[in-house]
Amino acid sequence: MATQMHSYLKNISTSLFKTLTEGEEVSLNLHSEESEFIRFTQSQVRQNTQVHQHELSLLYQANSRGYCAAMPLTMHEATDMATLTERLQYIRQNLPLLDENPKLTPMLNNGVSEVYKKSVYPSADVFIEKVQQSFAGADLVGLFCAGPIRQASINSKGQFHYFETDHFFFDYSVYDGPRAAKGYYSAEKWSDEIFARQAASTLNTLSLLKRPPVKVKPGQHRTYLGPMAVSEIAEIFNWRAVSRSAYEQGFAPLKKLYTREQLFSPIFSLIENNELGLNSHFNSQGEPSPKLLPVIENGEMKNFLINAATAKEYKLESNNADSGMWHTEAMRSMEVRAGTLNEADILKQLGTGLYLTNLHYINWSDPQAARLTGMTRFACFWVENGEIVGPIQDLRFDDNLYRIFGSELVALTEDRSAFINTLTYQKRRLGGMIMPGALLKEMNFTL
Amino acid sequence: MQVTTPFNKTENIAQFLQTEFNRYKTSADFVAFKLVREKTRDYSVRNGKTEELNEFIDCGVLIEIMIKGHMGYGATSELSVDGIKKAFHQALEMTKKASQSAVYRFEKSIRPSVKGTYSTARTTRLDNLTMAGIFDFLKQTSQALKVSDQVITAVSDAMLIECVQNYFSSEGTEIYQDFDIIVHSMSATASNGQESQTRSLHGGRGNCIQAGAEYFQLDRALPECQQIGREALELLVADNCPSETCDLILAPDQMLLQIHESIGHPLELDRILGDERNFAGWSFVQPSDFGNLQYGSRMMNVVFDPTVTNELASYAYDDVGNKAEKKHLIKDGVLTAALGSLESQARSNISGVANARSSSWNRAPIDRMANINLEPGTETLDQLVAKVERGVMMFANRSWSIDDYRRKFQFGCEYGKLIENGKVTKTLKNPNYRGVTVPFWNSLAGLSRTSETYGSPYCGKGEPSQVIRVGHSSPYALFKNIEVFGGG
Repeated sequence: MATQMHSYLKNISTSLFKTLTEGEEVSLNLHSEESEFIRFTQSQVRQNTQVHQHELSLLYQANSRGYCAAMPLTMHEATDMATLTERLQYIRQNLPLLDENPKLTPMLNNGVSEVYKKSVYPSADVFIEKVQQSFAGADLVGLFCAGPIRQASINSKGQFHYFETDHFFFDYSVYDGPRAAKGYYSAEKWSDEIFARQAASTLNTLSLLKRPPVKVKPGQHRTYLGPMAVSEIAEIFNWRAVSRSAYEQGFAPLKKLYTREQLFSPIFSLIENNELGLNSHFNSQGEPSPKLLPVIENGEMKNFLINAATAKEYKLESNNADSGMWHTEAMRSMEVRAGTLNEADILKQLGTGLYLTNLHYINWSDPQAARLTGMTRFACFWVENGEIVGPIQDLRFDDNLYRIFGSELVALTEDRSAFINTLTYQKRRLGGMIMPGALLKEMNFTL
Repeated sequence: MQVTTPFNKTENIAQFLQTEFNRYKTSADFVAFKLVREKTRDYSVRNGKTEELNEFIDCGVLIEIMIKGHMGYGATSELSVDGIKKAFHQALEMTKKASQSAVYRFEKSIRPSVKGTYSTARTTRLDNLTMAGIFDFLKQTSQALKVSDQVITAVSDAMLIECVQNYFSSEGTEIYQDFDIIVHSMSATASNGQESQTRSLHGGRGNCIQAGAEYFQLDRALPECQQIGREALELLVADNCPSETCDLILAPDQMLLQIHESIGHPLELDRILGDERNFAGWSFVQPSDFGNLQYGSRMMNVVFDPTVTNELASYAYDDVGNKAEKKHLIKDGVLTAALGSLESQARSNISGVANARSSSWNRAPIDRMANINLEPGTETLDQLVAKVERGVMMFANRSWSIDDYRRKFQFGCEYGKLIENGKVTKTLKNPNYRGVTVPFWNSLAGLSRTSETYGSPYCGKGEPSQVIRVGHSSPYALFKNIEVFGGG
């Protein structure tokens, strides 16, 4: 099912690779998207933006040196070939003047593949009508994002991997004055019924917030974290915690876990699960992504994420990890294994404490101690004897991963929620995560 | 179409876009094209060896279309006759449909009619720097950071950005702006086997300005490397910052973050209007607060000023052609104006500034910070220290977190100094502090008379999301009775 972009890449890569001389290696990595962004505020459209964005990264390697140059594709073949040829010439002239790069690994032919996925969803103008029907009278704010994303990794050794997915998400919240409830909808096949049910559920949560607010004092509180809140904490693993290169370079929040001085709870397992299908099936070097890579299993550290360069530098075995933020290895498809806590028992098991659906702006407060801080956000409640009393004012937490996923972790929920990556900085991202809720004996709140 | 590449014949691309713009400029109530061409060289050297050698050339056009007072956007990197045609017609159709559900109907005055230019003040353009020249600077500084075997990671990296923008509109606007930007960071991580500590040049990527090739002076950088390396070693044997309520002096390379998070973001008018509630958050600031709220102590004067030479977010016009001017946001501690673009000003009737900015050609302009600066005071740093009976001085941001209304914050720094009886006594590691925005700024009790200028290349906001470059200059600032604490 070769698409226009697949054929286009075939043409320009074939032409470009013909110009290489002996000892030269080139790989081409594509990110391409045709995106529809509808931004809502007060349930109306604030901005609509359609983006046709194609960029190609050319990695050149010769004589133990490498240089990566990314450039836009105009989809006009002569223009794009002229740009590629000009940058290649620039690199050839300048790179020999630099030192060799000891981390460089030779390019390999990691095979040929094509994967296509397509979700079914309404056009943007129809979607606007559906929002206005399902959220009539509500104050909704959020983003509808849809359209194809394409990734490819091609090299002069014969490798040609291509991935194309066309999907949507609607990331939103509804407000009643300062009170807010968060919603999210994405599916392989749009369902009016499910969308309407989710809208009703979000509006129902908002109605619970009408109860009188409860002022909760900072301190240690028994806490239930919903799946979105757990996902927000789990994101911190990608802030260099599971990267082997970061660990070797002195940024090591999980050092005690790795050296077994401290363990997480035996019910906690963190897995890089590319079988979730939220990603391309290859990394940015075109290497096949591991299907399942246990990172933390039953509370014990099993694997760091290791890419080819890190493996070469520290004489380790690569697990074909990709780079995320900070140019260090990161998970692309994160799973926390489910537990046994039934949805219907959450409030009863919480008893008296905090029920937190969302957290916000999490950062390390002391990475050496795996300590992090962040805020509660959206629909968060005080619960007494298994009954919701009322919404809380925002609280700041400051606690560490060894307590949150270790000594204080009582249970994880049976049911989990999947979230596709909603990040749209510079370009849309692939990947996502699947997370359960988590019940903690206590969590530390400071402000 | 004539074969041109995005960066070797820039004038051809601009001419081509002007021709295409003329084809479409009467096809809607208002039409504008913004062409952005940007070349970034991002090089990094670790322990004297190549870490990253990346270059990113970006080029595309943002098309603005107004239908019945609603502004919609199309964006494309397909800079061909057919590519522009496809982008324009898709955006036109979508904007017609979306205009039926528009949150606000604007007048054309949100896009002024102007002609003008801007260029970064520089002696030598950044494109004069060769790949080998940059690499050599980074290699030498990386090696100089390694002052001891305990320094296990010594990184010097530089992001050099050359950005050119053209903006044409159906109101007759023609703007050309070109920017040379440098983001240079150096850091040393020291380890004693038990723990590691990192010290850097003004924290992460805080050291960023508009400048030309003349910035890269080894004789200035090498002593900085020595100091960074020594201070990383100092931290390995330093005491933890105590946990107590005491006085706090923040250095300008931490003040940049304090200003950014607790002044800049809450004053963004689109946040106050609620556009960001699903993502970046709302604001504790209410429309009625302008002219009334005592945001901080009387010595607090904060300005929006894109006219400063060499600060990171300096420009002559914002991205919709509004002329940039210096304006007080907070005067003698009282909140006076918002960070609101012409669109937000129309929606709110609140006084604003020229701050409609987009991260590149593929995103619509929204209300952003530019240079947000705290004006200096009258004292020397020694005089500020002398006023402190017991306190902590903190340098260089390393951790940041604040709530979605921009009230409750907690920030961490790389390096601290204990102050006892008016004197600096010893180094502290893991210095952190927390507070609430308005009480915190009202505890401001002193400002040094000299400022330093930093910024951030990565201010995040918006749906779809955007990063924008912001500048912040600040003096040293003394705050009374702040909760500080250490690590562990």
